[in-house]
Amino acid sequence: MQEKLKDLVARAAEDAKSIKTEADYLNIKSKYLGKKSELAEYMAQIKFMSNDDKKLFGPLFNMIKTEFETLFSDKLEEAENSNEKLKFDPTLPCSNTHGSLHPVTIVGREVTNILKTMGFMIMSGPEMDSEYYNFEALNIPKTHPARDMQDTYWLDNGMLLRTQTSSVQNRAMRKYGAPLKVCVPGRCFRNEDLDASHENTFFQLEGMVIDKNISISNLIYTMEGMLKEVFKKDIKVRLRPGFFPFTEPGFELDCSCTICDGVGCPTCKGSGWIELCPCGMIHPRVLEEGGIDSTKYSGFAFGLGLTRLAMMKYKINDIRVLNSGDLRYLEDFNVR
Amino acid sequence: MLISCNILKKHIKNSDKIDFVSVWDKFTIRTAEVEGVYLKGNQFDNVVTARILEVEEHPKSKKLHILKVDTGDEQLQIVCGAPNVRVGLIGACIKVGGHIDDIEIGVRPLVGVDSHGMMCSGKELGISDDHTGIIELPEDTPIGVDIKKLFPIEDIIVEIDNKSLTHRPDLWGHYGIAREIAAITGNELLPLDLNTEVPEKKKLKIKINNPESCFRYVGTKLDNINNNKTPLWMQIFLYYAGMRSINLLVDLTNYVMLELGQPMHAFDSRIVKDIEVGFANNGDSYTTLDGTERKLTNEDLMIKNGGKYFAIAGVMGGLDSEIVEDTNSIVLESACFEASTIRKTAIRLGLRTEASARYEKSLDPNMAIIAANRFIKLLKDENPNMSFASAITDIYPTIQGENNIELNKEYLYKYMGFEIDDKTVMHILTSLGFKVKNLSKKFSIVVPTYRSTKDVSIPADIIEEVSRMYGYENFTHVPLKMDMTFGNNEIVYDTEYEVKDYLANKFNLHEVNTYLWNKSQFLKKLNIIVDNVKLLGKTEDNTLRNDLNLSMLEAASVNINNYDEFGIFEIGTIVKEDAKRHLSIMLVRNTDNLKIGYYQIKEYVYSLFKSLKNIDVQYVLLDEKEEYYNNELSLGILANDKLIGYITVFNRKVSAAINKKKSFICADIDFDKYCMLEQNAYTFKEISKYPQTTLDYTIITKRGSFYKNLEEILNKFESPIIMKRELIDIYLDGDTKKVTIRYTVGSLEKTLTSEELNDFKNKFIEFLEQNGLGIFE
Repeated sequence: MQEKLKDLVARAAEDAKSIKTEADYLNIKSKYLGKKSELAEYMAQIKFMSNDDKKLFGPLFNMIKTEFETLFSDKLEEAENSNEKLKFDPTLPCSNTHGSLHPVTIVGREVTNILKTMGFMIMSGPEMDSEYYNFEALNIPKTHPARDMQDTYWLDNGMLLRTQTSSVQNRAMRKYGAPLKVCVPGRCFRNEDLDASHENTFFQLEGMVIDKNISISNLIYTMEGMLKEVFKKDIKVRLRPGFFPFTEPGFELDCSCTICDGVGCPTCKGSGWIELCPCGMIHPRVLEEGGIDSTKYSGFAFGLGLTRLAMMKYKINDIRVLNSGDLRYLEDFNVR
Repeated sequence: MLISCNILKKHIKNSDKIDFVSVWDKFTIRTAEVEGVYLKGNQFDNVVTARILEVEEHPKSKKLHILKVDTGDEQLQIVCGAPNVRVGLIGACIKVGGHIDDIEIGVRPLVGVDSHGMMCSGKELGISDDHTGIIELPEDTPIGVDIKKLFPIEDIIVEIDNKSLTHRPDLWGHYGIAREIAAITGNELLPLDLNTEVPEKKKLKIKINNPESCFRYVGTKLDNINNNKTPLWMQIFLYYAGMRSINLLVDLTNYVMLELGQPMHAFDSRIVKDIEVGFANNGDSYTTLDGTERKLTNEDLMIKNGGKYFAIAGVMGGLDSEIVEDTNSIVLESACFEASTIRKTAIRLGLRTEASARYEKSLDPNMAIIAANRFIKLLKDENPNMSFASAITDIYPTIQGENNIELNKEYLYKYMGFEIDDKTVMHILTSLGFKVKNLSKKFSIVVPTYRSTKDVSIPADIIEEVSRMYGYENFTHVPLKMDMTFGNNEIVYDTEYEVKDYLANKFNLHEVNTYLWNKSQFLKKLNIIVDNVKLLGKTEDNTLRNDLNLSMLEAASVNINNYDEFGIFEIGTIVKEDAKRHLSIMLVRNTDNLKIGYYQIKEYVYSLFKSLKNIDVQYVLLDEKEEYYNNELSLGILANDKLIGYITVFNRKVSAAINKKKSFICADIDFDKYCMLEQNAYTFKEISKYPQTTLDYTIITKRGSFYKNLEEILNKFESPIIMKRELIDIYLDGDTKKVTIRYTVGSLEKTLTSEELNDFKNKFIEFLEQNGLGIFE
């Protein structure tokens, strides 16, 4: 009997290999496990066996039965899996459609998100604006060079295209008063000839903080903290004197070069520093013009070049790409 | 501006203690931006002064000469090609073993004759552009001395960014820079060496007609000027500072300007009668020193001589008063003009000179007299016989005073963010020339006139002086104190991002940025005329856009050859009386796919409003848009029953001008209005627990009629058991259009009975008949 069973198992194993479809499976299953199968015949003989044989063959039959069931269903699954594989090529490239956001949009979102965590609100202002908001309210006198046609786009309706997002400073102060923490991302315009590093249309982000006891020390901390977040790097900042009529004192803020970490490289012309952002303590006359008592309140403001930041971040070497609308450059900015 | 450290050293006590290479890093963070530091005179060594003893013809060359040269310790044979060689000339000889521009000088045969060294030109020494011959040193030059020991060839030249000096008139000369360096390094600024003689002579005739534009005019006539040769040290300095040496009188005016920041002018006194300062007459013309005739206006301030134009004040002189070969008497002008007057004229004439650049910064009128006396002192050094032919005539109608500022200590500490001790404050301010009194709660400060013209006038200006000299790098970093009051917020920016993100990531559209004006060439190509607000002073690309879709069309045309079908969008400003923000979406499709694209853009707009505002937009037919659209295909977009934008397609004429095979479908949405829309509330919707029935009807309409018409009719059919109505299919058959719609009917309370269903069917068919619509069985 044992010899017969061994032979049966061997034949079943051989036959199982031929299972390719569900029908094969059912045929072979009925051949080896059906009511008229060889195994069924042997099992029927058990009642005629001695007690010792019963103890030996009973479990053995059951074991073989289970083994057959698993064997056949495994073979079927195996066959089905390989059938699926034959139907297509999993290594073909997938469709590559996606949209894109403008690099400046992405960077602007990042910076405003950082500022939001510091409690800044986000404001917007008009791109076509009056002389008052763009110049007068910012303590820029009539004779200041910035007001020249060479620098400013004046319009035939008496308005101008804002040259800086600082044009929203006065509106923010008038609308919300002090204390105030506000940032204003937006387009600005300067009458410039285009080349790889000059654009007449670009994005800035104005930031402004006004409260009692706002100091230069606060400005340094805030700017450094913000830029660390923007660049995701432990950068350093330094202030240099800079002159802007709406600040006093005014600064040029440099950050340690993000390429060489301040060691000196071609990007920073060997100095280790990159000029990044004009800033300063808000000029008392600007506060007063905004209806804020400059003897009680002080504040700082900064103008971060979003276009410049996007260029630094994505290593864009020609500013003209950004307003070109050319999707060959822009389509890959598919990030949220 | 180029600064020579050799000149700075003359003005600072113990300047040898200062490292003039590294001090500029400090200067950058204390004062102004340094663009470069250049070492001069290190490109050669082993050059000594030498006298030519003999000059012989070269046997084989017409050009070359064989010289015998005395270099002090030896006599050398040198072959030289310069045309100006002569016996007795003292020149500069580089000896064997010396280097010039990394080349070592050896004994070298020149056409068969050995040369034991080389005589150098000014250009080879890097101290002039002259390469026409060897340099000729002054006759009293000692022989055999290292040339660098005799003349200031070794120097450190520093380039300072002019833009960072716009607010500092005092820094437009070496003396002002020296004051900063002295303050930064803790050294003392030396007083200027000036003429002190007060000649008892007749005054010059000088008249200021417009004292509001000419603050001061100092003039004096100087005679017996026989030496008009500029000393070599000054020539070298002027060359390093980027100027050309001309003659002593011209060079001295430039030298004093570079030293003190005060422009001056020397006129040949033979021409000068009387001097008058006033505005020009409109339409007059005048020929400046450079030979150009210039049209004047009544805003141009002029110097007049004997009633005739003599110079454009603060900008440029004329040909007739130029210093010439035989000039031996001059009238010196040292004046102060109002900044914006000079600036306007210089810009209008396109003539930005060294002088006008300085006057634009609001110079200190008190410098005019100091500079005049400095000029006289330096001129006398070279012309000991010089004499005054007039008094130093000083017309100074309104005296520039010193500003007085009181700085509250509390205010200072608040601004800086920490307390700074009185001694430091006093020391910093004194070192910069301010006078300070320490009162218990404040400082009383007198601002020197050279900082009083515009730069320092309020306490915050003093805080800047203290802060920058204290050093921003020494400030502590202090976080803002948290204020937990609920802040205000404006949603515009976030809304904008939300929309952009949705369009880019749900519909695979690409965001572009375009210009606020239309490109003239582009519009011309499409034969579209836009009349709108214009940029002044420009003739091309000068009309602001009033339709964002046109900008999208322009961006689309950029990509038309690189992409088959694509979609772009922008949120940007357009100008229609006021500036408004609009969203424009453009789909570029092959003309065969116009229908698909059109339905897509409808879906995008619908989905945008539905997903972000929970608003179901409606579309209505629009009668008219711009003529460059195919107005048959214009649809208005209604949000909450108000028109908020439209969908349209550029007409064939326009699209064919870009590409015959493409269609340009666009949606324009008033984004300001969009931002104002409140998001509709979401309400919980109950789902029926009872079975529902679907009923399909195929309705026969006329081919060419809009679905919208049918829909409007169907909307009028009301029944409480309608749960949903959908459009299933449209089938064109001959001149009919068969529209299959599906009603889902049911109830929240129960299963509908067959009577109720039949009742619905009958009523609906009756309704259709009433409206003249047939049913396709």
